[in-house]
Amino acid sequence: MKNITNSFEYFSPKTLEEALKLVSQFDKEGKDFKVVAGGQSINLVMKQGVIAPEAVISIKGLSDMDYVKFDEKAGLKIGALATHRAIERSSVVEKKFGVLAEMEHNLSSVETRNWGTVAGNICHGDPGGDVAPVLIVLNANVKMAGVKGERTVPAEDFTLDFYETALAHDELVTEIQIPTVPPNTGVAYTKFSQVVGDFALASVAVAITLDSKKDICSDVRIGLGSVAATPLRAKKAEEILRGKKITDDLLAKAAQAAMDESDPTDSVDASGEYKRELVGVFVKRVGKEALERAKKA
Amino acid sequence: METKYSVIGKPTGNVDGMAKTTGEGKYTFDMYLPNMLYGKHVRSPYPHAKIISIDASEALKLPGVKAVITGKDVPGGKWGLWRRFRELCDQIALADDKVRFIGEPVAAVAATTKDIAAKAVELVKVEYEILPGVFDPLEAIKDDAPLIHEDFENNINATRHIEWGNVDEGFKQADYVREDKFTLFPQAVVSMEVHNSLASYDKGTGKLTIWSSTQSPYYLQLGLADALKMREGDIRVIKPHVGGGYGGKNSTMPDATTAALLSMKTGRPVKVVFNREEEFTTTEHRMGLHLAIKIGLKKDGTILARECKIITDGGAYTGLGATALYLAGIFQTFPYKIPNWRYDAFRTYTNKVWATSVRGFGAVPTVYAAEVQLDRAAKEMGIDPLAIRRKNLMEPGYEAPGQYKVESCGIVPCVDKMAERIKEKWPKLEKDEGIGYAGFAYMSGGIFNWIDTPYAYSGARVQVNIDGSVDLFTQAADIGQGHNTVAVMICAEELGIGIEDIRLHPGDTATAPVDLGAWGSRETLMNGNAIKMAAGQVKQKLVDLARAKLGENIAYDLVCREKRIYLELRPERGYSYYEMVEAAIKLNDGEPLIGTGHYTPHNKGMISPAYGMGIMAMKAKVDRETGLVEAKDVLIVHDCGQVINPLGARGQVEGSVHMGLGYALTEEMPNDNGLVLNPSINDYKIIRQRDMPQIELLDVPTYDPSGPFGAKEAAEATISPTAPALANAVFDACGAEFDSNCLKPERVLKAIREAEKNQKNKAKAKK
Amino acid sequence: MKQELKFKVNGEERELWIDPKTLLVEVLREELGLTGTHWSCDTGACCCCTVNVDGMAVKSCSMLAMQAYGREVTTIEGLADGPTLHPLQQAFIDNWAFQCGFCTSGQIMAANALLNENPSPTREQIQLQLDGHICRCTGYNMIQEAIQDAAKRLQKSKV
Ligand SMILES: Cc1cc2nc3c(=O)[nH]c(=O)nc-3n(C[C@H](O)[C@H](O)[C@H](O)COP(=O)(O)OP(=O)(O)OC[C@H]3O[C@@H](n4cnc5c(N)ncnc54)[C@H](O)[C@@H]3O)c2cc1C
Repeated sequence: MKNITNSFEYFSPKTLEEALKLVSQFDKEGKDFKVVAGGQSINLVMKQGVIAPEAVISIKGLSDMDYVKFDEKAGLKIGALATHRAIERSSVVEKKFGVLAEMEHNLSSVETRNWGTVAGNICHGDPGGDVAPVLIVLNANVKMAGVKGERTVPAEDFTLDFYETALAHDELVTEIQIPTVPPNTGVAYTKFSQVVGDFALASVAVAITLDSKKDICSDVRIGLGSVAATPLRAKKAEEILRGKKITDDLLAKAAQAAMDESDPTDSVDASGEYKRELVGVFVKRVGKEALERAKKA
Repeated sequence: METKYSVIGKPTGNVDGMAKTTGEGKYTFDMYLPNMLYGKHVRSPYPHAKIISIDASEALKLPGVKAVITGKDVPGGKWGLWRRFRELCDQIALADDKVRFIGEPVAAVAATTKDIAAKAVELVKVEYEILPGVFDPLEAIKDDAPLIHEDFENNINATRHIEWGNVDEGFKQADYVREDKFTLFPQAVVSMEVHNSLASYDKGTGKLTIWSSTQSPYYLQLGLADALKMREGDIRVIKPHVGGGYGGKNSTMPDATTAALLSMKTGRPVKVVFNREEEFTTTEHRMGLHLAIKIGLKKDGTILARECKIITDGGAYTGLGATALYLAGIFQTFPYKIPNWRYDAFRTYTNKVWATSVRGFGAVPTVYAAEVQLDRAAKEMGIDPLAIRRKNLMEPGYEAPGQYKVESCGIVPCVDKMAERIKEKWPKLEKDEGIGYAGFAYMSGGIFNWIDTPYAYSGARVQVNIDGSVDLFTQAADIGQGHNTVAVMICAEELGIGIEDIRLHPGDTATAPVDLGAWGSRETLMNGNAIKMAAGQVKQKLVDLARAKLGENIAYDLVCREKRIYLELRPERGYSYYEMVEAAIKLNDGEPLIGTGHYTPHNKGMISPAYGMGIMAMKAKVDRETGLVEAKDVLIVHDCGQVINPLGARGQVEGSVHMGLGYALTEEMPNDNGLVLNPSINDYKIIRQRDMPQIELLDVPTYDPSGPFGAKEAAEATISPTAPALANAVFDACGAEFDSNCLKPERVLKAIREAEKNQKNKAKAKK
Repeated sequence: MKQELKFKVNGEERELWIDPKTLLVEVLREELGLTGTHWSCDTGACCCCTVNVDGMAVKSCSMLAMQAYGREVTTIEGLADGPTLHPLQQAFIDNWAFQCGFCTSGQIMAANALLNENPSPTREQIQLQLDGHICRCTGYNMIQEAIQDAAKRLQKSKV
């Protein structure tokens, strides 16, 4: 069986401040280190020998960062150490951000969700992840901190390339911030995989806000997963819908635009061509679902 | 149902339950010996290459490394399961002249920790001269293809020609003839316990003990004897609990040979455990193949003739692939009467891991083709798919000339029951749903003796002690199928005692009589017969003694039931079992009562003494936009003779359907020039809980004279019909046709579009 | 450099020194001899190695053992009450919910975490909880039936 073969020094800071100090110190020293949250992704990378850090900073013990908080004004705040499971089972999330809980039901296994963190998921930068497309349509921001200070970037700009994020080497993600969902808004997410719970061949998230008469689409956001080097916001597709009354025809046009915007590659399971078709199918289906939800909202 | 049995036929919890639910039961994987070393293989990165040199000096310098071995250190020659045909014994412990697939072991290290072993492997320098490789059977047989084994012309490893009736005449008389071509993909085994072995060599006595995750302790003993050039009796194989086999643990694999060689070299216990990637890339799998099949029928749906040709992708060695080649033909004829039949099969060597026996041994790909073709024919002829099957079913006593004879045979009532039940079960289908059928049958153990054993196929020894407790010894292998439970149930039934009275000693070559192991659904019938015979011998002693003591008329029959021995017609007249045992042992000059049983089938044809059979229906739904197929519901009507343990029988069926659905839908091993592209459970998709349909299982009881209490196969049969039933359901739902298994959504979407195009063209042509 | 790991395993305080790169499954099996926790896929994808950490189902192959510091780990060996099996274990036996048994410890420990928070789960909730567990033998249906049976037994025993 595969274990981690290389030894490393191990640090388990108790506070964010301590953690940031270690990160910055190691960064300055040029020490090869790795931050481990739940380790659900990164332990695997170490087992495969892809990385062999000299030091590991386990942030799992930063209990002050393990929270899911909500208030109407500030919206939802997910601390860096909040697990997938915490989101999945939070009653606020279920009531106000139901799509997040739905997304979590099909993310890997309960075991992964119990130990893995939402922040770790996006920090891993996997273009096939489920979290990012949903965060993108929820208009979320990612808050990062270094010893020098804090900054925030929109979720849609957080992932830069395959497994590459906006995070600097001496920074940590501290919080994911999701604004309160505006009125008359419906949000839906579907990932398509052949085996339930598996990584997506393609995934689509859509948020639609209707005007006060629930007639015209006043705003829309479309997020795509698994179909490019990063999670993607399908802006051209959104443009087709924004300001219009959404019909099946219009959704079909938006679906075509989203297909053009996506840039999927071949994988063992499916060709890029097929994944592109999936984008079309699911922009239509998920768009319709979001629209229904917006009407009911 | 009132039965004359007090133990068999009753739902009985697994006798290994305590061991397996508490973590107390040990698998080889769980065993560690004091002073034990860890062995690990150096593997070839090339599919086909000459080994020029191996330099282990750097590895040997690493502290903690105790030995490095290469092909030069292997004392024995080649080995294999086809010992009757030595040229097919082509496996080697460590490649010494050349490598034939990516991942083939070329050397091995033993070290004090796993981590040191892993580092040492990287320090062994191997110089190769790369040879051209060949990866598809149709390429392999070309004259200019590189030879993988020098003595096998055109890389042909084995061939089969079987024929009965007059096939050409049959086709001439047919009203309808069609021909189809298929390519079936290989399927990985994926036992949850990886291949692993722990060997301990005793320098003083020159004897070896090995614990191994194996389906057949005896085969492993023979394989090791060949590889190590030792007497089989000097090798003791112990099979602890085994975490799954499904056909993939019949062959002697390098985990065992290397653990043994390293232990002999270092004088310390050595354990070799494969990792999951090694499992996917270097252990055996179900064969892939190209197939052409032709069927001829009368207008009314009667099958007149069938011809099938296959060429299989055998991989680098033989394994049990040559047997799979045979069974692929034979089981494609079941459960139908095919008066004229011809089969031509070729197994080729290729530069990949080799293909062998895997659950449904041979039958799975060819049954797929036959059952799928039958539906296409039925549709074109305007016959209902269940009716066309009903028309051609075997009956008791049916004989395929020179090959097999079917004694008990409940397939007709099975299909009739299916027709009835289906009406109530699925009266209406939703949009894009369809129903597919497939018939099936399978052997209750094979009659073939390629291993060339002079021993009986199955043996058992029963010892009854003074307190009435029983020790039951057999090498029969429970690898999860539940044979340990079946074994004690049969023994208890025969002696008229409870299963709690029996202590089973399974799977140890040093203490138990030989049994060929768990493959071909053989243990219930073959080992069951041996156990029944062994227990029967003791029973006879007890009955004789009771009869003598009762002083009864010789014509009265005595029975052993519920711990008493009594007159069948006058139950009040008799003795307690314990009383008779004590008396018999005293009469026996103090020797415990010993019974031995040995079973070898005779006069039962070429294949098997008995056949389990039945019919499966599957309801599936298709998403026409994405191609996603959902297996919604399964109905099976099954004839497996007298059921010994209904729980175990159901478990086997559920499991077979699950693995069959993987074959049908998700499991595929794409390969690029010898490289397996998805060697992990993340990328090789196994059906999970939420994808698994419910299964309704109906029984048609029969009695087979060859089986213990009339029992026969209830294990592998139901894997074969699963994929064709699913493909037929999709065909029913939307007309999509498939020339392969593994209906991944992209494939299905293509097929749907093809079908829609064809339907349009047909409609146009009509206009 | 070894570091000290203090945690509770099956109710007992444990203190040992380990190389911090060690996975929890390695500590359990190789340091503590608790071999009932199995290890199968290498990639966090089969849940064979599931144990309970502070009552949660967690994969012991995907967790650094050091992260268990100060926590409470329960393995399959800690489930039975002396010679009396836990209702889940008995129900697994009576319902033929395992065959080869290699994935069983993980299945039972995941079910244990479920029943502790939801004493009468529906079939769907069981599927959702155990979805990550790969079993090559049973086809899962009999496992789900066993868990429902165990839930009934547990409730009866509490009345
Ligand atoms: C079998 C399997 C299946 C999976 N299936 C899915 C799936 O279907 N969909 C899906 O979306 N995901 C899936 N995942 C991924 C899973 O969601 C992630 O592994 C998990 O969320 C990562 O969280 P973690 O806390 O374990 O991160 P870790 O593995 O600890 O870390 C991941 C990366 O993020 C960095 N990191 C973590 N936290 C921070 C922080 N606060 N600041 C800066 N850097 C940080 C680490 O340094 C590392 O590079 C699957 C994983 C497995 C093993």
